[in-house]
Formats: sequence, C-alpha cells, structure tokens
Amino acid sequence: MLELRDVRKGYAGGRQVLSGLSYALAAGEYVAVMGESGVGKSTLLNLIAGLDVPDSGEIRIDGIAISSLDDDAATRLRRRRLGFVFQAFHVLPHLTLQQNVALPLLLNGVSVKHAEARTQDMLDAVGLHGKARQFPRQLSGGEMQRVAIARALVHRPALLLADEPTGNLDPDTARDILALMRAEIRENGASAMIVTHSRLAAETADRILVLTQAGLHSMEPSSAGGRAHP
Amino acid sequence: MQAMMLRRWLLWGEWRAHVPQAAAVVAAIALGVALGFAVHLINAAAYNEFAAAARSLSGESDLQVRGVQATLDETLYPFLAQRDGVRIANPVLELDIIVPAHANERRHGMLKVVGLDIFRAAAIAPDLVGIPEEDNLFDLLADDAIFLSPAAMEWLGVRRGDPLPLRRGTQVVTLRVAGGLARARAGQRLGVMDIGALQWRFRQLGRLSRVELQLLPGVDRDAFKAALVRDLDERHLVTQVSDQEARVANMSRAYRVNLNMLALVALFTGAFLVFSTQMLSVVRRRHQLALLRVLGFTRAQLLWQIALEGAILGTAGALLGLALGHAAAAAALDLFGGDLGGGFFSGIQPQIRFDPAAAGVFFLLGAGIAMLGSMAPAWEAARTHPAPALKPGSEDHAYARLASPWPALACLAAGGLFTQLPPVSGLPVFGYLAVALLLIGGIALMPRLAASAFSGLLSLAARRPLRVIPALALSRLANAPNQAAVALGGVLASFTLVAAMGIMVSSFRISVDEWLRHILPADLYVQTAAAGDTRGLTPAEAEMIAAAPGILRADFFRSTQLALDPARPGVTLIARPIDAADPAATLPMTGTTLPPAALPRDAIPVWVSEAMVDLYGHTPGKRITLPIGDAPRDFVVAGVWRDYGRQFGAIQMRLSDYRSLTRDPLVNDAALWLRADATAEDAMASLQRLPFGGVLDISARSRIRALSLDIFDRSFAVTYLLEAVAVIIGLLGVAAGFSAQTLARIREFGVLRHIGMTRRQILALLAAESGLLTALGIVLGFVLGGCISLILVFIVNPQSFHWTLQWHLPGQELAAVALALLLSASLTALAAGRRALADNAVRAVREDW
Amino acid sequence: MTGRARPRPPRGPALLAAGMLLATLCWADAAVDPAAEAEPAPRFAPVVPGTPLAFPADFGAHPDFRTEWWYATGWLEMPDGRPLGFQVTFFRAATEVDRANPSHFSPKQLIIAHAALSDPAVGRLLHDQRSAREGFGLAYAREGDTDVRLDDWHLVRTRNGHYETVIHADGFTLRLSLAPTQPPMKQDRDGYSRKGPRPEQASHYYSEPHLRVSGSVTRDGSTMPIKGTAWLDHEWSTAYLDPDADGWDWVGASLDDGSALMAFRIRGKDGSTIWAYAGLRDAAGRFTLYEPGQVDFQPRRTWRSPRTGAAYPVEMQIRTGTTEWRLLPLQDDQELDARQSTGAVYWEGAVTVTRDGRPAGRGYYELTGYVRPLRL
Repeated sequence: MLELRDVRKGYAGGRQVLSGLSYALAAGEYVAVMGESGVGKSTLLNLIAGLDVPDSGEIRIDGIAISSLDDDAATRLRRRRLGFVFQAFHVLPHLTLQQNVALPLLLNGVSVKHAEARTQDMLDAVGLHGKARQFPRQLSGGEMQRVAIARALVHRPALLLADEPTGNLDPDTARDILALMRAEIRENGASAMIVTHSRLAAETADRILVLTQAGLHSMEPSSAGGRAHP
Repeated sequence: MQAMMLRRWLLWGEWRAHVPQAAAVVAAIALGVALGFAVHLINAAAYNEFAAAARSLSGESDLQVRGVQATLDETLYPFLAQRDGVRIANPVLELDIIVPAHANERRHGMLKVVGLDIFRAAAIAPDLVGIPEEDNLFDLLADDAIFLSPAAMEWLGVRRGDPLPLRRGTQVVTLRVAGGLARARAGQRLGVMDIGALQWRFRQLGRLSRVELQLLPGVDRDAFKAALVRDLDERHLVTQVSDQEARVANMSRAYRVNLNMLALVALFTGAFLVFSTQMLSVVRRRHQLALLRVLGFTRAQLLWQIALEGAILGTAGALLGLALGHAAAAAALDLFGGDLGGGFFSGIQPQIRFDPAAAGVFFLLGAGIAMLGSMAPAWEAARTHPAPALKPGSEDHAYARLASPWPALACLAAGGLFTQLPPVSGLPVFGYLAVALLLIGGIALMPRLAASAFSGLLSLAARRPLRVIPALALSRLANAPNQAAVALGGVLASFTLVAAMGIMVSSFRISVDEWLRHILPADLYVQTAAAGDTRGLTPAEAEMIAAAPGILRADFFRSTQLALDPARPGVTLIARPIDAADPAATLPMTGTTLPPAALPRDAIPVWVSEAMVDLYGHTPGKRITLPIGDAPRDFVVAGVWRDYGRQFGAIQMRLSDYRSLTRDPLVNDAALWLRADATAEDAMASLQRLPFGGVLDISARSRIRALSLDIFDRSFAVTYLLEAVAVIIGLLGVAAGFSAQTLARIREFGVLRHIGMTRRQILALLAAESGLLTALGIVLGFVLGGCISLILVFIVNPQSFHWTLQWHLPGQELAAVALALLLSASLTALAAGRRALADNAVRAVREDW
Repeated sequence: MTGRARPRPPRGPALLAAGMLLATLCWADAAVDPAAEAEPAPRFAPVVPGTPLAFPADFGAHPDFRTEWWYATGWLEMPDGRPLGFQVTFFRAATEVDRANPSHFSPKQLIIAHAALSDPAVGRLLHDQRSAREGFGLAYAREGDTDVRLDDWHLVRTRNGHYETVIHADGFTLRLSLAPTQPPMKQDRDGYSRKGPRPEQASHYYSEPHLRVSGSVTRDGSTMPIKGTAWLDHEWSTAYLDPDADGWDWVGASLDDGSALMAFRIRGKDGSTIWAYAGLRDAAGRFTLYEPGQVDFQPRRTWRSPRTGAAYPVEMQIRTGTTEWRLLPLQDDQELDARQSTGAVYWEGAVTVTRDGRPAGRGYYELTGYVRPLRL
C-alpha cells in the first residue's frame, strides 16, 4: 500500500539524507525504522506524509503518488489515509479529549453523530473511558499519548506514522503505549511505520528496518541491533 | 555586569524576533502621547497668546473698573482719576466693529478698535500708541484717523493713507489709516483711535468700556480695591489682570479639559496594547522564561526583565510621541487655528513653544503607562513555577488568574458610584473617572464574558451538526478565553470609544438640531451684521422692516452683554417679545416654568439658560438683582430654557421691560414671518431695497440652521480624529495580538496540518476566530460604549458646558464602523496567520525549538 | 515770549509718538504754514494790532487763539542762602479737530505743563512735565482769570492778584505764592507783540515782573521754606514764527532798581536775525521800546553740551540802544535734553544780569533751536 521508488532528498547546503531509497510496505504491515541521528528518519516520514517533497523518485500511497500532488490534494489524501503520533503528543490544549479525537472525523466530513460514537469507542479502547470531556492539561504524558493514538486511528487510516512515540515517556508507560498502539493498529486494520531509537519500541513491530546512507535494510526483530533505549 | 549583558541579549533577541509587535507598541504609545501633547501645546499656545493679547490691551494697569453692562458712564473717569492713591486713570472704549468687506466671515468679520486718550494711555499701555507719519503727528488726535496693527493691516489689505470703511449700525463710517502701532503681538488684529473720535463716530457718546488704574507707589492694591468696590454700586466691577486671565482660561477650560481627556483615553488604549503584547510575549516565551529560571534567574530578575522591556518600549514611544505631538501641534495650528475649530480664540496667531514641564509629564505618562501595562505580565512570568511551565499545553494557565471577576466588578461598581458625584471646580472629574473605571472594569471582565458567550454559543451549536471550522473556532474561544480576551481588548477598547463618542456627538447634534428648530420659528432672520458692538436698528428702521411687503409679523430682539462675574466670560442679555403665560412658544423651555400668577408683581420676569442655574444659581422662582438700566433692579427667574449657543449663560427678558428700564431704543435682530402669498426670495429682495438694505444680513431659517450645524461639525472635527486614532490603535492591538498568538500557536497549526487541514482551512479558522472575537468585542464595546455615552451625555456635558442633551443612538453609523472593524480585524488576523503558516508545518511539531 | 517747553513724557521709547505730538504742539504753535498763511485757518482768532488788553478777563484763557501760555520763572533763595532757579509753565494749545464732535473727550484744547528746578549743587536741571486734553475738570484753562489745572498741578490767580501754584513733580514739589509788586507790563505796543516782518506774526503779551515769591520746595522728602523773585509771562497767539526762523534767544529780568527788562531775537536759518525786540520799564513805570534795529545780541561765551554736542551761547551781550547788558548763567548746564522722548533739546536757565558792566539784577534766559533747526 506504501511504495517508495528511488526516493532522493537533499537539503540546502548539500547534505544528502536519502539517496535512492526504495521500499514497499504491504497492507497491515507494521514496521519500525531505526537509524542514527541525522540519517533522515524524520525526513522519510515527512515525505510519506506529503509534507515535504522528494528531489526525485516517487512515493505512492494506495497507488496514488502523493509526492506529485499539490498541497491541497496531498492534504486531502493525508486526511483520509494517514494518522500521526508524535513524540510531544501535540494534543490541542483548548479542545476536550473527545474533540481532539473527533477532529480527523470531522475534517473528513463524518456526521457529528457518527463521529461521537466512533470517538467514544476509540477513547474507551485506549482506556480513557469517562474522560471524554476533560481537557488535556489534566492528563499525564501517557494518557496524552493515548489520546494521540486514538486521534491517529479514529478515522481508520491506511497508514499510521509515528515519530518516537515513546520518546517522552518512562519505560513502563512506554511499554503500555506500544502494546496499545500495536493492538489498535491491528484492530483498525492499518499499516504502520514507527520511527524510533528505542529498541523496546522497535521490537513491537513486525519488522525492523535500519536506515543508513546506503538505504533501507531489513532486520528480523529477534536479531535487531543498535543501541537499546535507556 | 554579566546580568546586564544577559538582559541586553534577551531584549534584543525578543525584539529582533518580533519587530512588528514591538513597533505596534511603540506606535500606540507614541500616538497617545502625541495626541495628548499636541492638544496641550495647542491649547497652551492659544491660551497664552490670548491672555497676552488681553494683557497687552490692559497695559500696565493695576486695576480695571468695568461695567456689568457692556459700557459704563464716562463720569466715572474723573471720579476715579481724582481718587486718592491713583497715579493715572486711563479711560478706554473698546468696540468690536464690523468691517463691511469681511462681514460674511463669521467670528472673524470684526475689528477690535480701542479708543484711547493718548495722554493717559502713553504711560499705562504704551504698546497701543499709534505711530503717525512724522509730518502728521496730529493724526494721533484726529477724529478720522485709525492706527492698525500689522496683522489688521494685512487682513484688511490696507496701508497707511488708505481709507477704511467700518460699519455703524446700518451705516458706514470711513476712517483713514494713519499708521501702525508702537507694538502689537503677532497676529493680533487691532485698531486704535482717539477715544473722543470713537465715541462720536460710533455713537458711544458718554460711554466707556473700562477705566484702567495705575496706583501710586506704596498704595495697597487690595485695600484700595476693597474700598473702591464699597464706593461703587453693583453695576461696576473692579478687576485685576489676573481676573481677566481667569476669564480667558474659564472660557475654554471645559473644552480643553475634555480634549485632554480624550487624549488620555487614547493613551489608555495604548497602555492596553502594551499589556496585551507583553502578556502574549510572556506566554509565548513561557518555556524560555522557565528555562531562565531553571538556569538561575531569580524571580526579581525575571520581573524586572519583563518590566524593563515595557519601559524601554514606552520610552521609545513616548519620545517619538513628543516629537510627533510637537509637529502635529504646529501643523494643526496652521490648519485649524488655536481652538482646533472650537471657536474660542479668534483674531490671534499663537506660536508653539516647547514646554519642558508638559513634555516631562507626557513623557512620564507614556513611559509609565507602558511600564504599568507590562507589570502584570511580568508578575505572571516571575511567579510561574518553572517545572510545569516547561510542560507543553500549559499556556492558558498564564491567564487564569486574570479572570477573577472581583476587581472588575469593583471597578464597575466604583464607576457607577462616581456618576453620582458632583463636579470638582467646574470640571466633571468624577465623570471621567467613572468612564475610565467602566472601561477598565469592562475589559477586565472580558475573559469571563468571552468564555460564557462562546460556551453558550458552543452548546447552542452542539444541538445541530456543526462544520469543523466553526466548531474548532468556537471551542478554542470558549476554552481558552483568556487568550482570546487579550486580543479582544483592543477591539473592545476602540469600539467602546467609538460607540461612546459617536452616541455623544450624535446626541448632541440631534439635540442642537431640535433646538435650532425650536428657536428659529420664523421664516427670515435679519441682522445688521453677524455680531459686534456697533450694530443696531433705530426704531424708524425697524418700522420700515416690519412694513416691508410680504411681511406678516416681525419680532425684534435686543441683545447685549452683562459681566456679572469678573472671572467669567460675559452673560448675554436678550430682550424680545415673550408671552409670560406661554414662554415655551418662543423659548425651548426645560423643566418647570412659573405661571404668570406665580410671578411677584414687584419683580420683572426673566428666563435664564441652563448655564445660569449652574453658574449663578438662578433657579426657577428665585429673586435676583440684575444691573440693567440706571440702577440695579429686582427680577424673578420665571423659567429655564435650553441654550447650546452660549456656554457661559444667557438671560431673556421681555423687550418692553428692557426698554422701560434702559430707554435703549435700538434693536439688533429681527425675526420675520411671511404672508402666505409671499416667497422668501421676494421678501428678501424687498428688504434689500430699503435705504439701508445693503447692510442687512438676511438669512432664511434653513441657511442659519445649515450654518449652525456646519459650525457644530467643525468644532467636533477633532473628536472624529481622536476616534480614528482610537480605531487605529485598536487595530494595531488586533494585529499585534493575533500575530503573537498565531506565532504561539504555530505548533497547533502544524498538528492540524498533519491531521489533514489545508492551509485555507487554517486561514478560515483564524478568520472565523477573529471574526467571532471582533463581533463579541463590538457587541460588548457597544454595551460598554453605550454606558459611557450615558455618562458623557448626562454627566460630563452638563457639568462641563452646563447644558443637557437628549440621548440618541446613531445606529447606521455605528453599524458601518462595526462592519469596517469586523472586516479589518479579520483581514488583520488573516495577514498574521499567513505569516505564521509560511513556516514549515514539519518544523512546527518538532520539540527542539 | 517763550514758546519753549517740550514736555518730557513719563518714560520709555514707546512713548515716542505721544511725546513727539507734545513737542510739535509746543513748537508748532509758532509755525505758520505757508499754505495756511495764504488762507489762515478760520477757526482760530487772529492777533489784531490795536486790540487793547482788558483785565481781569485777559488774565484768563483765550481758547479762540491757537496757543497760549503762562510762564513763571525766577530765582529762589533757600534758608541757607543758596540760590535756585525755577520754572513753571502751563500751555494751552487748541487743535484742529472737528468742533462738531460732542464727545467730552474731543481733544479741542490740550493742556501741557512743565516744571524745572535749577540747582548748581545738582549740576543740571531737575524737570518734569504733564499733558492732557481739556475736560472732566481734570485739566482746563479757564476764561475770566488765570486758572489752569492739569491733574494735581495748577496755577491760579486769587482775588487779591496773587498767583498760587502747586506742582507735584517727579523729584520735587513746589508750593509757591507769587505776589505782584508792580502792575502788569504790556509788551511792545500795548500788548501787541510782533515776532516777524509780517503784522500777523505776533502775539498778545504781557509780563508780571518783580513778583515776590514765598512758599516751599520739597525735595528728597524734606520741605524747605523759600523766598525769591519771579517773572510771569502770559502770551497768546495764533500765527507766531516766521517759516525761515531757526530758533530764538530770550531773556526776562527783574532788575534790582525795580525796573524790568525783556529782550528777544528770532534767528533765521541763515544765521541772520529775523526779528528783535527789547522793552525796559523803570521803577516809575516809564516804558522804553526798542525797535529791531536798536537791539543787538552778541554771544560772549559758548558751552558745549556733553550730551547733545550743541554749543549754547550761555554768556550773551545784548545792546539796547546805547546800553550794554551781559547775561551770566547760574550754571552752564541748564540744558533740557529730551531727545529720547520728544526729540527736542533746549537751554533754559537762571542768569545774573549786568548793565554796562555793573551788576543789575537776575533773570531767566532761554536758547532754542541750537541742536537742529526747529521744524516748521
């Protein structure tokens, strides 16, 4: 469902981060991408999200080349097919948990009634039952990330992109969140790509990919190398 | 040292990153200071020039003896000259004489002509001595010679040797320009001639305006004055130059104070802008400031850091404002004259002089207000615990404390109380304090009001499916009301001001319009000229006017000036036909009126304007003594009427009473009703064919009305300017507030972009938010402005100008301003949003900035 | 004679205009405009020869004539015997303003007064002046008998023929009583006094010589009784000075033997003498009149004013017929410099008189037109 064909991306100043990256992600597949800082992990996510444009090559989501769409079309595609989880949660402080989670549905034109029911289900699913009308400032970091996961999956995206989803969490909470995320991805039938430094996080994935200057290499979870998350 | 360096880094870093916000603050403070300083400079210049001109007319005299009526009997002169202690007695006859060539210039068509005995005046008022040609020294005494100040010569376009026609009643007297004056103030229009010649040529035989006294060295002036007052009857006033200055000051004081108050309101709006900008800046830098605390900045250091930012911006703004104000004052004097169109100072040419004391006051006001405005944010920044502040999503905490309603309610309550207090030395001090308190209280209550308003809207909206943009906008406004309120403050303050001023001016205008309708019942009005001391129709001439073809009825008026209080401008006495049984038929009566049966027999009824009640305590039914005629007589106040024409008081009496008291047969003006079959044009033409028709100023009612309203509009022109400035400051506030908030929300927009909002949707969200906010600001501003307009109409105006107004709402105009404000606020927000969205959404969600 | 005092305005250059007006009034009374001469101003009465003086009416004012003055000068003796010169003058000047103006302020008649005190101990003149328009009982020159007033300065002739004058000047106060010891001295031909070659250039003129003075002078707050001798001129005219005239020299002296001498010459712009006159009346009342050809003025010593640079013939030799008179000033500096205000400067002072080399008496001496020609 996600296809990367010979994607190249450099930055002003001549730093080449991705040089001829190709990869295909199957539907329902859950991969973790690891790699050293500055190797282009975040860049890769942004290119997939259509928030950045590759210098050359093609990125297709469900067969649509997002990299060649204009901003509005890319946004619409992103709105329908993608979900995001960030390291810093980025739950909107002035919206209730329910409103935060309902946002993608509303943006996709789902009726309020349906959106409410679905949102409620998602909040229940991530363990925030009964907190729908609370504001994010009353939550702990872990709870905040649960909201983010609910928001990322509420509209049943084809692909969930997560950037260091446990970077701001303690190990116990991180474990819970990873389990939840994995379960919900399965539950909602999404593919996922998690960019992380954390071995713990990476090991929850079906496959671990390592991004280097040379490209994306597969690595079985059992034999995953790299540094462990502290 | 290191701390100073650090402070500098922080300041520069902050401002470099947010030039527009800093510039808006500086501009707002500068505008407020400039306005206040300019108004002050212009008034001071005009007042000083006017006082100096008045002083130059009085020369070096110790005391002046005047009549309560315009002139006094000349026999007083030898009485005073021979009194013990008098060194020189200088008799003066001063007339405002109409110049036919300039008769149509309202207020400016008159030449002040001073008649002097040069042998007395040379010692006491040497500036006023004429300079004749060397071969014609006797021109100083000639009965056809007049000496003119340079400004008068320039205005009249005459030189030495030219003839100068002047009007006396319906006739023209031609004098000869014999030379200049020893010394005249720049711009002072003045003519000087021999007192005997002036008395004769302008029919003032036996009359003097005043006698100026110079006392012998060693004479106690106060004792002398007291004894003299004892020996003279109530028809005379003994004044000093200081009384005259007080009179000049009184003349325009209310107007000046009101202008200065408006300038202060502008400055207040500027202070509010400082507050909101600093508040937003503190919130935006929450993490940075918390980090500083973590790194070892003490609480006090942080407090002063923020306060210093405000003080520096305020200082820059105040300095800029002083320069701007000075330049604006000079320009305004050139364009509008010393009274900004208020009509209080004419015939003089004031010069702007830099006034260090006033500059200091306005500087401190500007810088201080900016510092005050940043104190609350500074306090907030200093007292924040650094750890939670480092946590994202805590921004709205910053405002939480400001939302406590009690101080705001206390302000409103105090404001309400202050409306019940009397004026302080003739000025509506408490009225203005009430206005300020209402404004402060209203703005402070804003977050709470915004929250409940938007929550209400949100719950209303929840019943029906709501599109995502309005839903997001409403949620944000309802749930982050403090942030919203800060941006709202500018809109609220400026629309409050616009509404208050708009309602006040419109109430005033409509009241004046209705009043004009009432006082101008006749079809035509005839004057011998616009005004002046030398006008007047003889009985024969009046007869001819009444008998002219087409005239159904003619009422004649006689108006003169009474000086009842040496420290106040004169009171106008108008004698005309009045039906004591129904004064409301001729006068715009207000309040109770004594019926004829209630009038005492031994007193003559007079009807006084509202100002007489305030200034002289002439309440209905009161018996008063007025020096009309040969001896003071008893009068009774039979009623009070509304007068927008004479701020310093007017008295009306029946013409028949006036004539029997004074034996003065002249009249000034006539009101003419036309026969049903006559047209105004024909009647005017036939009046102009009278032998003296050429000097009659005949106006149709409509023309007088238009002229009066035109003058009204001109004198309120400056208030429109102030309103415009307030709106600009308000928009600056919106711009600064929104761009600061938008920058602070860059992360939020980044998330929304990730979730799938297009740029346009985010802009629409911003526009919706600002539109909703501005709309609320306008609604609340309208309510607050309405309350303030009540204070202006029912408290400030009566206390300052001694007249009452009817409240009137200029709906269309306010709606237009509101719409314009709504549009410009939304556009401003959009512009600010565009700038924020130009940044990459990707960077926005990263944590490391 | 003596159309002389240019009153000093109170103070300041701003008074220039007012002061110049007064100066003109005092000098211009004498001026005969050539045009006016051809067609004399009808409103002023002409001086007609053969009009006899009629007392007491002629002691009073003659408002129909253009100019009139009462001019008292004399020598006073202080208690310590030191001499003082004094001068008290009241002018009346009729103006040409419209007689139809009914205003009480109409300046038809102006009253100007001048007082001076000459004290050698001071070294120069103390002087003061007043001026006003007639009216309101504040300033007037009454008809019928001498009675002139200007505010608190006045000169009045009482029923017994004494003149009483009170002058509150800036720096001194004079309260004098002048008692006649002789009848009035009618100058020239029975009081018709010619001033030039044309018959209308003349005045009506009588003097009261040998007035016995008593009274007091107040200076610096102390009042001293004084006595002395004075001379009073009363003269009225309409056309006076010849257009070519430059100024005049004049002396009036009460002589020790009871006789009285008055002499003047009118100087032309070219240095010539336009007219000259002398009259001498002895104690017995015999009057000797000298025609222009019999009177000759010869300067003997000049004094140059450090202020104005003008050279005044302060010592003068006068020949009347065969008699030689010599005038010696009480002090050289008796110049009255009013250039700052009126633009006029003249010399007016007390002199002792010798007759053919022997002391003969004391008088007053006036020199005009030495700074610049009188503007006519």
